[in-house]
Amino acid sequence: MSNWLAETIHQAEKIDDWLSPKRAQSLSLLKSTAWPTRQTEAWKYTPINVIERAVFKSANDPQIQAEQNSCSKIPNLQAIDLIFVDGIFDRSASTQLLPEGLTISSLSEGADLSWALSSFNQTKPKHHFFGLINDTLATQGCIIDVAEDQCIDQPIRIAQSFSLDSQSHTRILVRLGKRAKVTVIEQLQGDQLSFNTSFAEYQIADHAYLEHYRLAMQCEQAISVGGCHFHLGTSSQLNSNLIGFGSQLSRVDMDIIHTGEHSNAKANVIYLLDGKEVFDLHSAIEHTVANGVSEQNIRCIVADRANAIFNGRIHIHRNAQKILAAMNNRNLLLSDNAQINTKPELEIYADDVRCAHSATIAEIDDEAMFYLQSRGVNRGDAQVLLSFGFINELVDQMNNAAIAQWLRPILRQRFANMEIR
Amino acid sequence: MLKINNLHVNVANNDIIKGLTLSIKPGEVHAIMGPNGAGKSTLGYALTGRDGYQVTQGSATLNGTDLLDLEVEDRAAAGLFLAFQYPVEIPGVSNMEFLKVSVDSQRKARGLETLSSSDFLKRAKAACKQVNLPLAFLKRGVNEGFSGGEKKRNEIMQMILLEPVLSILDESDSGLDIDALKIVAEGINSQRDGQRSFIVITHYQRLLDYIKPDFVHVLADGKIIKSGGPELALELEAQGYAWLESYDRNAQEASA
Repeated sequence: MSNWLAETIHQAEKIDDWLSPKRAQSLSLLKSTAWPTRQTEAWKYTPINVIERAVFKSANDPQIQAEQNSCSKIPNLQAIDLIFVDGIFDRSASTQLLPEGLTISSLSEGADLSWALSSFNQTKPKHHFFGLINDTLATQGCIIDVAEDQCIDQPIRIAQSFSLDSQSHTRILVRLGKRAKVTVIEQLQGDQLSFNTSFAEYQIADHAYLEHYRLAMQCEQAISVGGCHFHLGTSSQLNSNLIGFGSQLSRVDMDIIHTGEHSNAKANVIYLLDGKEVFDLHSAIEHTVANGVSEQNIRCIVADRANAIFNGRIHIHRNAQKILAAMNNRNLLLSDNAQINTKPELEIYADDVRCAHSATIAEIDDEAMFYLQSRGVNRGDAQVLLSFGFINELVDQMNNAAIAQWLRPILRQRFANMEIR
Repeated sequence: MLKINNLHVNVANNDIIKGLTLSIKPGEVHAIMGPNGAGKSTLGYALTGRDGYQVTQGSATLNGTDLLDLEVEDRAAAGLFLAFQYPVEIPGVSNMEFLKVSVDSQRKARGLETLSSSDFLKRAKAACKQVNLPLAFLKRGVNEGFSGGEKKRNEIMQMILLEPVLSILDESDSGLDIDALKIVAEGINSQRDGQRSFIVITHYQRLLDYIKPDFVHVLADGKIIKSGGPELALELEAQGYAWLESYDRNAQEASA
């Protein structure tokens, strides 16, 4: 066992709060789970040894310069802000006044909420190694409850930033009552050497609608492992958008579990990787009942020596008939040394389903190239325009105009800095 | 202005154009008609330089510049424009951005200063209104989800903004209802200033009711087999191409 893990277990054993019964279960699982290596399939391409090598301090450590939250502001978003610095909730920087039907508590206040304990760990897979770490160590985070029939117009933005050498573990629990509607944005930023795990669990009740964004925009030295896990009730809807910038290690697990019929989930994912960055998405769609719809569009642009990993699992359970599931993964390589590791995993046990998947390394479309050139645009400029269009198409599909508008120039700039070689 | 001499074009090892000669003066409108497979679209692609359309013989110059020697984008900068029969959809690239990059590229290539954003926006809005497309179309992806008629009008809008000296309109009338046809024709007519020239490729005389051509050519089996004034289009409309082909065969037999 690594020193880091030993220290983690030691820290976890000292925590005593309302989640202790859950933490104890995860701790015993963690003790019997081997540290993942390159031979562990789920972590095959993820360089997690960087965690063992570094030394991190918790935000309480006097050596950590807890600064202000450094996440970029999103103009015109008019959000309800929940601000975290190195995993610590900054109440004074967060929105105090909440609209009717919305209750937000910090994770430490969860003892007063009977549903919170029973929802904890119901959506997140049990055996995710860093999920277990988060179970045992996350004492900070938030609990969001949208009452039945409430449509919350203001989006909720959970902004987390991370400073040098910090280690933090946060947990987010969200419950949408029946027919409720809300937008939740998880924004993670920071490029200095730091380590965080941030897992979010969403329960979307019957006929409810969640618009979700995870802006995993930590770069360079940051180490981030996290997940977003969704539980969908009957006729509920999820529209999720994930932006992945790579860092020395950035990993997101996304689980979408359809437990009610006629539920509909869409996830659009953009990766934009440069340098030696790594971004790893493991997604799993579980259709446990009939008549569900799921659609995933994953588009990656990978330059220099960056590594994009996508593992997409679709599991259609026995008797889950009439499922429409589509998974499209398109990748654009800008350099010979860039890597894309993509793996679809389909497990289908029902016979009357439509399940389509594709994974391609995209070439620039010849027709579109000729069209642009015939208008006077040179090959190089046309290539930039078309490549950016390739990911911008997914930005165009975002329902929140403020996020799309804020994101477009950021993605454009990041893309402009990438070299074709 | 445009001089095509004995042009031969090969596509996928098939000779499609087999010795085409055509000369166009400034301000002229030439209609090219002909049966399916005659090589009408191939002419447009060969002149604009599409990959796979190989010129095996002959020459084509625009105002003295050898077109065939230039890259696709340099032919555009020299003043050549092709309105596509099937305009390409490019999701994710807004029409506005596409137009701005196109106009900027051509202005740069011609040694002109690029337009300021507000200046360009003014022109783009005017062109958009002229072809009767809602301004929202400027923000949409290039041709993305446009109807057939909207795509054709978008082509004309590009032509208006790019101000080419020679425009080739490849079946810009196909798939249009009568109102859309008028809008397209008016868009083209608005660009006729006695200097700029047009090649109008069409199957039907109908378009020529709205765009009065100076010359009509019949293209069949890779060659111009007959040229005349606007009255030739009316004859074709009345009698079809079969009449011409037999006419042509007889003429060839007579000369043999």
